[in-house]
Amino acid sequence: MYGAQSKRDLALEFQSQIPILRPSIHARRANLTVKFQDLYGFTVEGNVDDVNVLNEVREKVRKQGRVWWALEANKGANWYLEPSISEGIALKSSLKFSTLANAITLKRLIRNGIPPLLRPKVWFSLSGAAKKKSTVPESYYNDLTKAVEGKVTPATRQIDHDLPRTFPGHPWLDTPEGHAALRRVLVGYSFRDSDVGYCQGLNYVAALLLLVMKTEEDAFWMLAVLLENVLVNDCYTNNLSGCHVEQRVFKDLLAKKCPRIATHLEALDFDVSLVATEWFLCLFSKSLPSETALRVWDVLFYEGAKVLFHVALAFFKMKEDELLLTHHVGDVINILQKTTHHLFDPDDLLTVAFDKIGSMTTNTISKQRKKQEPAVMAELDQRLRRLNSLKLDDK
Amino acid sequence: MARPGNKIIQAKMVLLGDMGTGKTSLVLRFVKGQFLDHQEPTIGAAFFTQILSLTEATVKFDIWDTAGQERYHSLAPMYYRGAAAAVVVYDISKMDTFTRAKKWVEELQRQGNSNLVMALVANKCDLEPKREVETEEGEQFAQENGMFYIETSAKTAENINELFYEIAKRLAKAFPSKPTGMNLNNEVRDRRKLSCCLG
Ligand SMILES: Nc1nc2c(ncn2[C@@H]2O[C@H](COP(=O)(O)OP(=O)(O)OP(=O)(O)O)[C@@H](O)[C@H]2O)c(=O)[nH]1
Ligand SMILES: [Mg+2]
Repeated sequence: MYGAQSKRDLALEFQSQIPILRPSIHARRANLTVKFQDLYGFTVEGNVDDVNVLNEVREKVRKQGRVWWALEANKGANWYLEPSISEGIALKSSLKFSTLANAITLKRLIRNGIPPLLRPKVWFSLSGAAKKKSTVPESYYNDLTKAVEGKVTPATRQIDHDLPRTFPGHPWLDTPEGHAALRRVLVGYSFRDSDVGYCQGLNYVAALLLLVMKTEEDAFWMLAVLLENVLVNDCYTNNLSGCHVEQRVFKDLLAKKCPRIATHLEALDFDVSLVATEWFLCLFSKSLPSETALRVWDVLFYEGAKVLFHVALAFFKMKEDELLLTHHVGDVINILQKTTHHLFDPDDLLTVAFDKIGSMTTNTISKQRKKQEPAVMAELDQRLRRLNSLKLDDK
Repeated sequence: MARPGNKIIQAKMVLLGDMGTGKTSLVLRFVKGQFLDHQEPTIGAAFFTQILSLTEATVKFDIWDTAGQERYHSLAPMYYRGAAAAVVVYDISKMDTFTRAKKWVEELQRQGNSNLVMALVANKCDLEPKREVETEEGEQFAQENGMFYIETSAKTAENINELFYEIAKRLAKAFPSKPTGMNLNNEVRDRRKLSCCLG
């Protein structure tokens, strides 16, 4: 009814194709840049090495798929859907040993990647979206989209403006059907939470959710659980205060985990939020190749928002030596951009993000957020007052 | 490019303006000579560089193209801090974008850099039949606020080079003459000098 069916076919098509990419002999010889479609239909530009990496990634995805199927065969199809397994609960002694064992297996398994075909199901349950959906009547989403049809608000106007600007050229997203689905998800959400309404950046996030989840309705619930439970509060509301908090926490973490880089960047007068804001608001959907971004999301939905810090820190860690040689803001940005755009092998990133950055518990991060909140609020408040005094002067 | 003996100016430039007014398109037209009918919304900001050579100086632009949506406003100071030039953009076919542009100008004036080179850009002038903001209105506001005014179209490329050349010229003039022979490796130091001269 909502075009979900043909959407599903399309998503499956991307995944079942998994063709081996063969750059032409000319491209090989000249080491030219070639354009090709990745697993989720995005056009990627890269050289022959990149193509080879992507082929290897496809092979790894297949292998990882076999691991998951084997576990299902062994432990039952829904073995991982046991009580939610967060760090806190894992310590409870009442928990059965098998659950604990599963939790450990699952964490490792998820860091190694969820096969694209299982993503909708695994994300939906492990993120809490299924639970969220189960607390409202079955017809919630249909009712919501019907109720808001034809309504015009500032949010809907901005959404309409951004539909053709969201991943333009994508074979499904950039079709009337894709636009309509994305519109319903974003407009629906803007009515569900009028504090968020529509924030630019969510268009990319929702678009990627649509490509992964099999139905539009599930994409909607994923968006809801993401904004309401997974990420910190107020990341996308009126003055993005949550995002400001995350940026401050990130700066502190960089100073702690990559002190040499932090010092160097400070000497260049380079504020990391200049680049990191987009990472945190788009959840890397604009900066990483699709499968790599989704591998980050695999972990994000299971382990929580701290994952974003791991990944952002990893970019700096991976390029430490190069970054230390920079003399200019522009060079820093170029290195980071080139790095993120070329991370075709998700394992290259995730290995650094989790093994080299060292562990950070959700607890310590929460404490750091608490510590930063007052400063952010004071800063935003002061700014608002200054702007208001500006208005008074006009009169 | 850089002529020997020619002074080199490293200048931070920021683009501000409502969402969809064409900030990113203006910069892409200037930096890459391209235009896309559907340009993705900017989140946070995007960074570009471009070099312009004038007879009197070579200007190396560090361009920060910011996000236009109102709620991103709270991030703007980070991007305009230390800027030598600011380009405030509105869309001639949408009156509310002009209103927003005026607010940006006021805010910039209050942030205390009296040497800031400011341009008021009336973009999308190819949409003449849909015009809501008259040339005189823009011109007058620009004049009252010591900015220069220019009508552009990122789509047709009209006045894009003119815009950036004019900014470069004004930056060159704002710089006190310096001994020649400054080299490119001193970028960081030069930039510091620039921000101390200009703000
Ligand atoms: N007709 C016409 N369209 C333009 C012109 N400049 C930009 N556009 C279109 O307007 C839309 C918005 O342009 P952007 O350059 O993304 O605008 P922006 O100000 O960067 O927008 P945000 O990043 O959302 O703040 C795009 O679809 C462009 O193709 C112009 O001069 N004429
Ligand atoms: Mg833009």
